[in-house]
Amino acid sequence: MFPLQPKDIKKIRLSNGLTIMGLEYHKLPLAHITLMIKRGAERDPEGKEGLADLTAEMLTLGTEHRDSQRLALEMEKLGARYSASSGWDASFLEALGLSEDFKALTELLGDMLLRPIFAQHEMKQSQQRRISRLIQQRDQAEVIADEMIVQYLLTGTPYAHPTYGTISSLQEMREEDPKSFYLRHYCPKDTVVLAIGDLNFEEVREHIKGLLGEWKSEGASNDPLPTPVRPHGRRIIVVNRPDLTQSQIRLGSLGIERRDDRYIPFKVMNYIFGGGGFSSRLMQRVRAEKGYTYGITSSFKASHIAGPFVISTFTPTANTISVIEEILKLMEEFANGGIKTQELEEAKNYFIGSFPLKLETPGQMAREILELELYDIPFDYLSRYQEAVKGVTLEEINNLARSYLHPEDLIIVVVGRAEDFLEPLRNWGEVELIEYSEVTRVPPPSTPPNTHLPPGGHTVSPSPGGVLE
Amino acid sequence: MQEIRLDFQRDRLANGLKILTLEDHSHPIVSYQVHFATGSRNERPGITGISHLFEHMMFRGSKELGPEEFARIIQANGGTLNAFTTVDNTTYFENLPADKLELAIRLEAERLENLRLTQENLDTEREVVRSERKLRVVNSPFGLLIEQLFAIAFDQHPYQWPVIGWDHDLRRLTLDDCLEYYRRGYAPNNAVVVVIGDFRTEEALTLIEKYYGHLKPQAPIDAVPAQEKPQRGERRSIYKKVSQLEAFFAGFHVPGIRDPEIFPLLVLSHILSQGRSSRFYLRFVKTGKAVEAKVEAEPPPFWPMDPGLLQVYAIAAPGVKIGELEKEIWDAIDEIKEGEFEEAELAKAKRGLEASFVMGLQSIFFKGLAGGLYEIKAGDWGMVNKLLKGYEGVTKEDVQRVAQKYLSEDNRTVVTLKPISPQENELLGPME
Repeated sequence: MFPLQPKDIKKIRLSNGLTIMGLEYHKLPLAHITLMIKRGAERDPEGKEGLADLTAEMLTLGTEHRDSQRLALEMEKLGARYSASSGWDASFLEALGLSEDFKALTELLGDMLLRPIFAQHEMKQSQQRRISRLIQQRDQAEVIADEMIVQYLLTGTPYAHPTYGTISSLQEMREEDPKSFYLRHYCPKDTVVLAIGDLNFEEVREHIKGLLGEWKSEGASNDPLPTPVRPHGRRIIVVNRPDLTQSQIRLGSLGIERRDDRYIPFKVMNYIFGGGGFSSRLMQRVRAEKGYTYGITSSFKASHIAGPFVISTFTPTANTISVIEEILKLMEEFANGGIKTQELEEAKNYFIGSFPLKLETPGQMAREILELELYDIPFDYLSRYQEAVKGVTLEEINNLARSYLHPEDLIIVVVGRAEDFLEPLRNWGEVELIEYSEVTRVPPPSTPPNTHLPPGGHTVSPSPGGVLE
Repeated sequence: MQEIRLDFQRDRLANGLKILTLEDHSHPIVSYQVHFATGSRNERPGITGISHLFEHMMFRGSKELGPEEFARIIQANGGTLNAFTTVDNTTYFENLPADKLELAIRLEAERLENLRLTQENLDTEREVVRSERKLRVVNSPFGLLIEQLFAIAFDQHPYQWPVIGWDHDLRRLTLDDCLEYYRRGYAPNNAVVVVIGDFRTEEALTLIEKYYGHLKPQAPIDAVPAQEKPQRGERRSIYKKVSQLEAFFAGFHVPGIRDPEIFPLLVLSHILSQGRSSRFYLRFVKTGKAVEAKVEAEPPPFWPMDPGLLQVYAIAAPGVKIGELEKEIWDAIDEIKEGEFEEAELAKAKRGLEASFVMGLQSIFFKGLAGGLYEIKAGDWGMVNKLLKGYEGVTKEDVQRVAQKYLSEDNRTVVTLKPISPQENELLGPME
């Protein structure tokens, strides 16, 4: 089973364009099935952010043959877990259950995919559940910070909003929206079915073909995606929440696209700087030496576009300025001073050695394989991965550090008790202060939800650089 | 459901160190785990939080290694690692490429023997843990409510304080407290080592003997004498904080992990709130009355060792009165007490719990935890193989009986969150 060879991943394409993939796994009597539609939250129409994710859930809320309760019951009486959601670049319908139930599970997933009815009462309830959850989520400072930095970094692209939408965009959803998203974006040529488990691929193929082989839908062509622009200069945003005893801090710029040849070197660079836990420079200095925080990390999201490359941490309010100062210093040192050979070797050994740990379970394997499929990366990536890591050079890392870590060109977000750090923060650049009450304000819906509006009659323009809705 | 067994081999060194081994050559990785039979239940007022703080200190250097070097070396060899502290145990683990097992054994034994406890390290780590406490508890939406729930529900047993400890204890803990805790809790006769994955048992046992064999056993740590007396009447409290929504958290005293009553209790929890066909989901969440409504019960091996709390909580949707929601939730539980549920719901819950256990076995790490934690908490790793049968045997009468017995008003403690403005929050004084 390890290393995974491209030939182990069976793949065929049906005449309607649907792709079926399978990987046999016989350790446990389980089946992990994913239906991936290669269109996600980046296809949310302007003003209807969160529609892709809502549409995915609507698939589970009633089909021509089964209402929502029956779907849930039929899945759960098999002991299976299932979910439907949209992320960046793709939407997923997924189930994990016992392999003896493979046929029943895929039959249910197929029913959801092909015959959803988008019932109005279900749509209303889902909309309301989502709005309530977002209202509750406003109490989580880390979520506000995460949403805010992405919004500022990716302004002007369809990736600037949370995949689950915003309170006001959810309020704007109309009954017909999920169905029109579905008709526009769900089509066999952009759909992949992956089954991993104690299964026989021939049987998987025949069964899926029987379920989905007749599916006909063209889907609309995709608009090209804009290229985001990396920040120039510093922009500081403070969300004032006086009841917090600890500040949530984010510093970010943009990283790279998933298909970028430098993806593996970028991972290695990020590990050394901030992604590698206690092996990283950020953790070493800010936690281990200074004791400022329980956690600090850097991470990047590579998708069809260059996504955020963000440093995330939190610290008791009194340390806020010192922590930002240390981070800026570390960026400077890293970009200008370069890295040591030993750091590089240790990082490479980590990625090489831990690779099998990341491919132990069907769920883990599915994630890796689907990511390659989504970004059109050949499967031999998996068999060549360790060699590719071995080949990363010091020079590559130092070049990446110089190109991507600019302490002068950053978006900085702090959520916390502003009066304790606002003034010194102004030394680093202009500060936009946002009161927490603005963030938590629930805008009145402009019209009652689910009433019909003429096309183009109402859109909410996103507010780049403004207040979170 | 086909028969699934985990066949650990159990050995013991002369110094009392217990060893569980289980070979699995299907994937080139190995999990090495050291479980200590000490957690916050072994603390006392004045040193609450020391188990967890001490867990942090184990990464701060030894005779051979500098601060955090342990982690760096494991990662530089392709391993992942971490540790966690609960009410009952403190666990350290490394998941590694199969050929790196000896490294983990050697480094774990070395820090166990030669930990370097210094004032400087303690001071740094104290601040790290206080930051962690702010993250997980003080600034989280419900952390302080849950602390209050346990503090009120227990007045005898150490489950009354949080694993992370009270902030005033974290501030005052001394190096001597740490040394004493280290001596008592971190002895070979108070630990269970688990090796699972792609390795040879004989070789592993030889290595463990080599690195741990010379360590001296210590006097066994004190048993926890406190036993919570049966609760005689409902306990209620209000917690005010800045919040968007109202919520309540309730707890009912239930038995510990060795008691077979936990199986019908888990089935009961499943029927009530697991999945989108469950009663709570359909009645409260789907309809938009509650953002969440759950019965929180951690299946074994995570179920607590001593009698703990079965938690029931709900977060009200905007505009919904928490008092009304709470009453409806107790009504839903009363229906179970009266036997108003179907055999099909029982079957679904049992199947769900069984499947969930099988899903856990996908990772050797989890399998190792199952054996190790059962050995620590129940003195018998073999109970892991009785889990599926435990679920299978639950009847409708069992579920009804445990609902009546444990989910009573007299046995209940409830903390209600009352949202207040930032101004009022300021007046109520600091939170820590």
